[in-house]
Amino acid sequence: MLMQQLVNGVMIGSVYALTAMGATLIYGILRILDIANAAAYAIGAYLGWYIYSISHNLLLAFLLSMILTGLIGVVIQKYIYYPIISKPNVIPIVPLITSVGLFTITGDLIRLILGPNVKEFGVVFKSGAIKIGKLIINPEWIFIIVLTAVLFAILWFILNKTRLGLAWRATAEDSEIAKAMGVNTNISMALSYILGYGFAASAGIMVGMLYNSISPTMGDIPSYKMLAIIVLGGLGNPVGTVVAGLIIGLAETLVSAYMGSILPRDAIAFIVLIFVLLLKPSGLVSKKSA
Amino acid sequence: MSMLSLVDVEISYGQMEVIKKVSIEVNKGELVSVIGPNGAGKSTLIKAIMGLKDIKSGKIMYDGIDITVMPAWERAGLGIGYVPEGRRVFGNLTVEENLKMGCYKVKDNNKNKNNINKVYELFPRLFERKNQLAKTMSGGEQQMLAIGRALVLEPKLLLIDEVSMGLMPIMVNTCFKIIKDLNDSGITVLVVEQNANKVLKIANRGYVIETGHIVIEDTAENLRSNDVVKKAYLGS
Ligand SMILES: Nc1ncnc2c1ncn2[C@@H]1O[C@H](COP(=O)(O)OP(=O)(O)OP(=O)(O)O)[C@@H](O)[C@H]1O
Ligand SMILES: [Mg+2]
Repeated sequence: MLMQQLVNGVMIGSVYALTAMGATLIYGILRILDIANAAAYAIGAYLGWYIYSISHNLLLAFLLSMILTGLIGVVIQKYIYYPIISKPNVIPIVPLITSVGLFTITGDLIRLILGPNVKEFGVVFKSGAIKIGKLIINPEWIFIIVLTAVLFAILWFILNKTRLGLAWRATAEDSEIAKAMGVNTNISMALSYILGYGFAASAGIMVGMLYNSISPTMGDIPSYKMLAIIVLGGLGNPVGTVVAGLIIGLAETLVSAYMGSILPRDAIAFIVLIFVLLLKPSGLVSKKSA
Repeated sequence: MSMLSLVDVEISYGQMEVIKKVSIEVNKGELVSVIGPNGAGKSTLIKAIMGLKDIKSGKIMYDGIDITVMPAWERAGLGIGYVPEGRRVFGNLTVEENLKMGCYKVKDNNKNKNNINKVYELFPRLFERKNQLAKTMSGGEQQMLAIGRALVLEPKLLLIDEVSMGLMPIMVNTCFKIIKDLNDSGITVLVVEQNANKVLKIANRGYVIETGHIVIEDTAENLRSNDVVKKAYLGS
């Protein structure tokens, strides 16, 4: 049924958009393709799982995990990325490789500390699935879609309606001039990481909840799928990222529902990416001309 | 009274030394110009004063404060306004947002609103286009915006880098007229220019910089009649 697939697609797509949003915000300010966002996704899921297992409060698990993961991001930015990118004449590949390294190390650390096995997330919603005609909506889907919408609304508000957001957008466009106008660009960078890693953490928890499992390798597929989404969204463009996330989510769901398993699900993101880039090299929502 | 003084400033990009022991003095209320050919180091010097380029040695004093190692955003807070080379307005921000960025350091909203309105009076074109994205404006309009963005700060010292670049002659004259008026209203100005002819007509004093050295320093009037300057920069 089409309606069912659309609901599934929107839900998966919004989780994708959340995962990729961190990378978008970070690219916007620091011009780093931060693969370690996928590490934040796994760390966030584990923190969320742990907090939920002792508190049985899902909202608390989300909130605390997002804050803690965001703070980890700020520390990584300040003590690893910033020193690296402030060296004269660094080529962009250096922070990229650093981020791949961080991502790999994180996966291994989780495995060492908590073991390689899959853990059950164990969130139970009291109400059962809602049925509207043939359409089935699970309560956790509603939770995820609403939470994602709230997070994006908060992001939109910060970026477009606050002084901090104005400074963030100016820094993303020309950090040197933003500095000369009085913006402490260290704060814009920290903001990117708090929001970025926080969002990735929330996506990790959502996926953990949905599939009732978390594992040290859970960030592997998001690590490269997120690249397809941010490039498709026009690199560094938050609105583009939401659009691209939804498109990829819908494309995956619809293709696997109506074309069966001719194509492996995870390849679809890249097929869409290649197809769109052939038609429109700047991505779906192009960022700027200057 | 000194507003800005650079003492034996040396700057390099990597191994390449581009500013060698430069000393410059700008007194309160003056309009001082630095002229020189492409690649002489003019923009580098302005960036160092703004805090966008670290200096290797030497000292920068502003209004009695040693700002040598102060971050750029704090210098803006002390009232140093900057009109960068090539305008560099924030293209994806509206005209009004660009002006808000100009007074980012000033927390007094009423004062900021006032200063933004003053810029709108000075450049009615900007007012007509206040909700338009800056990147959709013409080069001349963007230059007005770049100047306006520096003015909303109510700067004590205004640094201007190559305001005439890429503008029609009539716009160039307008820009120089505005700079002169701003200086008459009490703002200390340091302009960097290739268009020596025009800038020496409004400046009080000037420096000639060549490959990182100050080679001549004099009043604007004397510079206009200096043979070397005439030959190299005034095209006569
Ligand atoms: N980011 C940079 N990295 C390396 N070298 C640079 C950089 N910026 C400038 N330079 C070099 O420093 C020297 C001075 O450059 P600068 O831009 O200050 O000159 P300028 O006098 O402003 O020239 P123009 O009149 O063309 O604007 C030049 O040789 C230039 O190549
Ligand atoms: Mg220059």
